[in-house]
Amino acid sequence: MKSIDEVINEYKSDFDLFENDKDAKLEYIFDLGKRHQSLPEELKNDATFIHGCASPAWLAAECKDGVLILKGEGTSEMAKGMLTLLLDIFSNKPAQEILDFDPKNLNKLGIIELLSPVRQKSLQAFLEKVYMYAKLCKEGKL
Amino acid sequence: MSKILEIKNLKAKIGNKEILKGLNLDLEEGKVHAIMGPNGAGKSTLSKAIVGHFDVEVTDGEILYKGKNIVDWEPEERALEGIFLSFQHPVEIPGVNNAYFLRTAVNAKRKHEGKEELNAAEFLRKMRSLANELGLKPELLNRSLNEGFSGGEKKRNEVLQMMMLEPNLVILDEIDSGLDIDALRAVSEGINKMKDGKRSFLVITHYSRILDYIKPDYIHVLKDGKIVKTAGAELVKELEEKGYSEFEEK
Repeated sequence: MKSIDEVINEYKSDFDLFENDKDAKLEYIFDLGKRHQSLPEELKNDATFIHGCASPAWLAAECKDGVLILKGEGTSEMAKGMLTLLLDIFSNKPAQEILDFDPKNLNKLGIIELLSPVRQKSLQAFLEKVYMYAKLCKEGKL
Repeated sequence: MSKILEIKNLKAKIGNKEILKGLNLDLEEGKVHAIMGPNGAGKSTLSKAIVGHFDVEVTDGEILYKGKNIVDWEPEERALEGIFLSFQHPVEIPGVNNAYFLRTAVNAKRKHEGKEELNAAEFLRKMRSLANELGLKPELLNRSLNEGFSGGEKKRNEVLQMMMLEPNLVILDEIDSGLDIDALRAVSEGINKMKDGKRSFLVITHYSRILDYIKPDYIHVLKDGKIVKTAGAELVKELEEKGYSEFEEK
């Protein structure tokens, strides 16, 4: 299992390829969205809805032996791409590793500044939900 | 040895002029075939007929690619099935980004083959690495396709397309024209790297120089719309010494 930092570094090397080409970076995020998978309808409910996202999005979680497994669905192309990226980073990771992770490290990717203020708020809402699930997982309540 | 291409009694015209006059040619899988011949013999017409170029009208005969007659196939269907032509005179397309163009083509082919598309990063990494091997300046990758490229840059870009698309049948129409010795070497090395014992090559050329780098298995002489002689690589030397005069109509 790769660590959160290892996955971030892999993505960083991908984003670095595009240097200062913002459009190429965004296109790469859209490309990632092609791998995006929908959630089963029964997992799309109030409990999994990410409040504060720019477009409707859901995040469901399971906890297996202290490892958090995340599944999500976004509705806009941007959300699908970002969710794919963020699920690669945070899913299948020990809850403790997620709780220890400093979200400022996401800035290394060089894409956060490309997000509009509304999208940045969506990211914040996503992270809060991930931390909440990680906490429940660690406490054996998930 | 299985045949990748069988051309039977092919007749084709451009406008009202008949150029190919009952041409027969077999290409073996994994082999390098060279077509040599004088100006106006029909070499470029043959390459255009194989890829389905709109300039050329096939009036009779068959082109069997992997056993299927492709004469009525659209050019894009032939490309998706693995036929690639490097143009003698690559066209400039202002406004179409070189990298985007190639990525679209590569991913269309991958999709056709049931493979996952390359994302922008995977594509860029591969393209830059191959461009570097070919000595193609990185800034050309983000310019409009062939616009303002030198002759050598255009040909290197054609070989880059070939390497990225990984075709089964590669047709190189005078890839050597307009190349200096360094460019010729870089282009030839790129082509030689693509030889894998399965991929077939049809090298169309006026001159034997490129055949010093890309060793052919067979030489075919094309004259007045027909293949008039087929032999091994030793024929190159003979043609160099005697020219095409022995094939003149008496």
